[in-house]
Amino acid sequence: MKNKYMFGGFIIVIFLGLMGYLFTQSNIKYESDFTNVINNDKTVKATGSWVKEKNYVVDRESKTFSFYMADENGKQMKVVYDGVMPNNFETATSVVVTGTFENGHFHAKDILTKCPSKYEEQPVQSSSL
Amino acid sequence: MIGSIVLTAALVLSIIAMVMYYLTFRGYKNTLNYARLSYHGMAILVIVGSTLLWHALLTHQYQYKYVYSYSNGQLSTGLLFSSFWGGQEGSFMLWLLLTAIIGIFLQSYSSKRSDLEPRVMAVFTIATSFLLVMVSPWFKNPFEYIWAHPIFINIADISPQYLSMPFLENFFFSDQQGGQSFVRMSTELYSVLSAQGIAVNNFIMDGRGLNPQLLNWWMQVHPPVLFIGFAMATVPFSFALAAMMKNEYKDWIRQAFPWVLAGTGVLGLGIMMGGYWAYEMLGWGGYWAWDPVENSSLIPWLIGVASIHTLLVQRRSQQGGDSVGRYAKTNLILCILTYVFVLYSTFLTRSGVLGDASVHSFVDPGMLVYLFLLIFIGSFILLGFGALAYRWKDLNAKLPEDENLLSRELSLFTAAVVLGASALIVLVGTSAPIYGQSVDTFFYDEMHLPIAIIIGFLNGLSLLIKWKKTSTQELLKSSIFAASASVVLTILIVVLSGMSNIMMIILTLSSSFALIVNTEIAVKIVKNNMKMLGAYVAHIGIALFFLGVIGSAAYSEEVDLDLVKNKPAQAFGYEMTFTGYQPIENNTKYAFNIELKKGDKSYNAAPVMYIAEFNNSLMREPAILSFFTRDVYFTPNGYEEGSSTASGESSVVSLQRGASTEYANTKITFVDFDFPAEVRDAMMSGADFEIGVNLTVESEGKKQNTRVAMQNKSGERLLTAAELKDVNIKIQLSNLDATGNVDLALSSLDGAAIDQSKPKEEIYSVSASIKPFISLVWIGVVVMVLGFFVAVARRLKESLV
Repeated sequence: MKNKYMFGGFIIVIFLGLMGYLFTQSNIKYESDFTNVINNDKTVKATGSWVKEKNYVVDRESKTFSFYMADENGKQMKVVYDGVMPNNFETATSVVVTGTFENGHFHAKDILTKCPSKYEEQPVQSSSL
Repeated sequence: MIGSIVLTAALVLSIIAMVMYYLTFRGYKNTLNYARLSYHGMAILVIVGSTLLWHALLTHQYQYKYVYSYSNGQLSTGLLFSSFWGGQEGSFMLWLLLTAIIGIFLQSYSSKRSDLEPRVMAVFTIATSFLLVMVSPWFKNPFEYIWAHPIFINIADISPQYLSMPFLENFFFSDQQGGQSFVRMSTELYSVLSAQGIAVNNFIMDGRGLNPQLLNWWMQVHPPVLFIGFAMATVPFSFALAAMMKNEYKDWIRQAFPWVLAGTGVLGLGIMMGGYWAYEMLGWGGYWAWDPVENSSLIPWLIGVASIHTLLVQRRSQQGGDSVGRYAKTNLILCILTYVFVLYSTFLTRSGVLGDASVHSFVDPGMLVYLFLLIFIGSFILLGFGALAYRWKDLNAKLPEDENLLSRELSLFTAAVVLGASALIVLVGTSAPIYGQSVDTFFYDEMHLPIAIIIGFLNGLSLLIKWKKTSTQELLKSSIFAASASVVLTILIVVLSGMSNIMMIILTLSSSFALIVNTEIAVKIVKNNMKMLGAYVAHIGIALFFLGVIGSAAYSEEVDLDLVKNKPAQAFGYEMTFTGYQPIENNTKYAFNIELKKGDKSYNAAPVMYIAEFNNSLMREPAILSFFTRDVYFTPNGYEEGSSTASGESSVVSLQRGASTEYANTKITFVDFDFPAEVRDAMMSGADFEIGVNLTVESEGKKQNTRVAMQNKSGERLLTAAELKDVNIKIQLSNLDATGNVDLALSSLDGAAIDQSKPKEEIYSVSASIKPFISLVWIGVVVMVLGFFVAVARRLKESLV
């Protein structure tokens, strides 16, 4: 009887430990202050808005899509995304990019656009590689 | 107005039904008929309310905000019908409607099983009451009038005959950035319109419509199926509470069992339909992205499946005695949790807490709704676990002794534990955004790999182990065939596919083992015991599903291709040629044809791109070539139009929006169209109009903005040019087309020849990928759901005993 509980407890501890470890490994923080993004070499999810005054560039040769993003304080950074411009990009009210800041720009592996629709649950295209 | 009254009346009846059912349970003799009457009255009113909403949608009654926000005149009848659940209010309405209808069946079912009805229905009506509060005029009411809260309506949606009326002036607003004009709809404007005798429904002539990605067949089937699953999750909760009300834990197991099986089956089907939709229409490239919205509906499903296994044990261990059976507490907890997680899923997806985390976009529904959702879920947690705590001592006193280590009972319990672990993983990852965290998808993948392996082995083993007790020798004897056959099958798969990842090989082995054990048993019993087949069929389904996931997820390959028109390219053993595009669906979309050749067989794939008017964005739809062993999947990336008119002096380039070109050391970028709504209206009505093209010109670090335009004057088309003296360039607009491309003829102002003339080619960029054995994923799910329903048929008979 006692053995059974010890065995069960042992399994649970291992499982929770493994989950905790992987959670911290795969954990990506949201960052809405670009100063922290720029001074950080970790992968983060940067949230902000697209700077419409500065144009985006679609580069077919290198298959990248680059644009400028600003945080709520107006701090800007250049974002280079490995892939094509996501659907809905131009009408997006906010943009979430996942990646790291390197070589003077934010290198995004994933981009998420949020639509301005008001009360709505609707799938918005996410392009991931 | 009538809609709100109907729903409010339904709420009152639902509460009366709840009270009457409770009083019946407490022993009152004459309350049962009132309870039944009230329940049926409530259900009929909910059906009437839903019909009213459908009627409003189908007849375009834009005085309702919901109708304006989620439908328009262009939608086909089928899509208009499904715009019912296009928004939050309507999806609550759908959930309520399905719950109310399921309650009718539940009432009839429970009234035939001793004293079950008052208890089960008393709990069930708590859920309907909460849902009715949700759609009541105080929260998410689909019958809210459009002027109740100020809303901006694009002038394109306003009937032109009223636009020039002087009283409108105070309500005009224009958005500088987007260059669009709006009318602010509010109670003030409503009273002005009423004074003029203008009906709002005539004033607003069109609605916003649905997001283009929702405009397909799946929108019509996926949400209802998913919500049937959600609605059915209310039933096991009601049964568990009913059992605790009576403090009797034996009979409810067999009575609830068919409901749990059916509900879990439908929910599973609904979840996978969403996956197929994402794969086939939305072009996400896969069927499962561990997106919070997908995850949040997976959690109750996993808990539901776990409960099936322990319910089975309790049912089995009751046989031949008055014993309550094993895992009585576990079953109560799991049945409570299934519904609690359905509510949690609703909370996550409707409260706005996911905000930035999901590909589904959610906007804060308001503090009041947020609080109400919290109260909703909190009440059911309190109710469920409060009752459990209250009965805990009694439960412990009724429990039988421990079981043998090597028994089917224990292996089924282990299965439930493993499924619970899977649910916990998904729960932890999905809830992370609440604390401003998020997890990478590899968290789910890595954690689930060992879990899937255990599930595969358990799946097979548990059926070889007998009830009560099995000796190790017996087990070895019975498993020898399946074990060796699955090793042979795995070796075959590994050799043929060149699989090298050890974990994947083990998963293949465990899935093969499950597949073979279940098939072996299914074949044995199919002749004389058809109705026993359910579990085996469902388990064959899950094994096939795992094999499909191994193939399609772990061994998918992708390449990016730039297909030059009529020039074949090679990928995955196919010769692929882009042969041009043609408009489809009344010129609203463009299909890009790709011819594929392999040996002497040829195929055609045509991914689609179009500019959606709804959000003025480029939309892409994938194309899939499906074979049994693999899918070839194309996602369009972009299209660059070539031009053959390049000459020595001027060169014509074709630019996509946002793209740039170099000419004489000058960078010219096509920024955007200047195409406001008024121009669109003018264009529609045949008046003169001008569509502008904004450009930036950058040379030696200096940047300037310029504009060329297409003008339409009394039916004649004019294309303007821009002359830029300081950089010595003339930019002549030579064409502009609906795919969003502009052609610009570039030349030097002084006529000096600039060698720029490189004839451009038409290039179509696609991502092509191979998804091996993805067909097994779909087949597996369908087979599994079939298994659930075979089991429902059997357990329905038993439930009457």
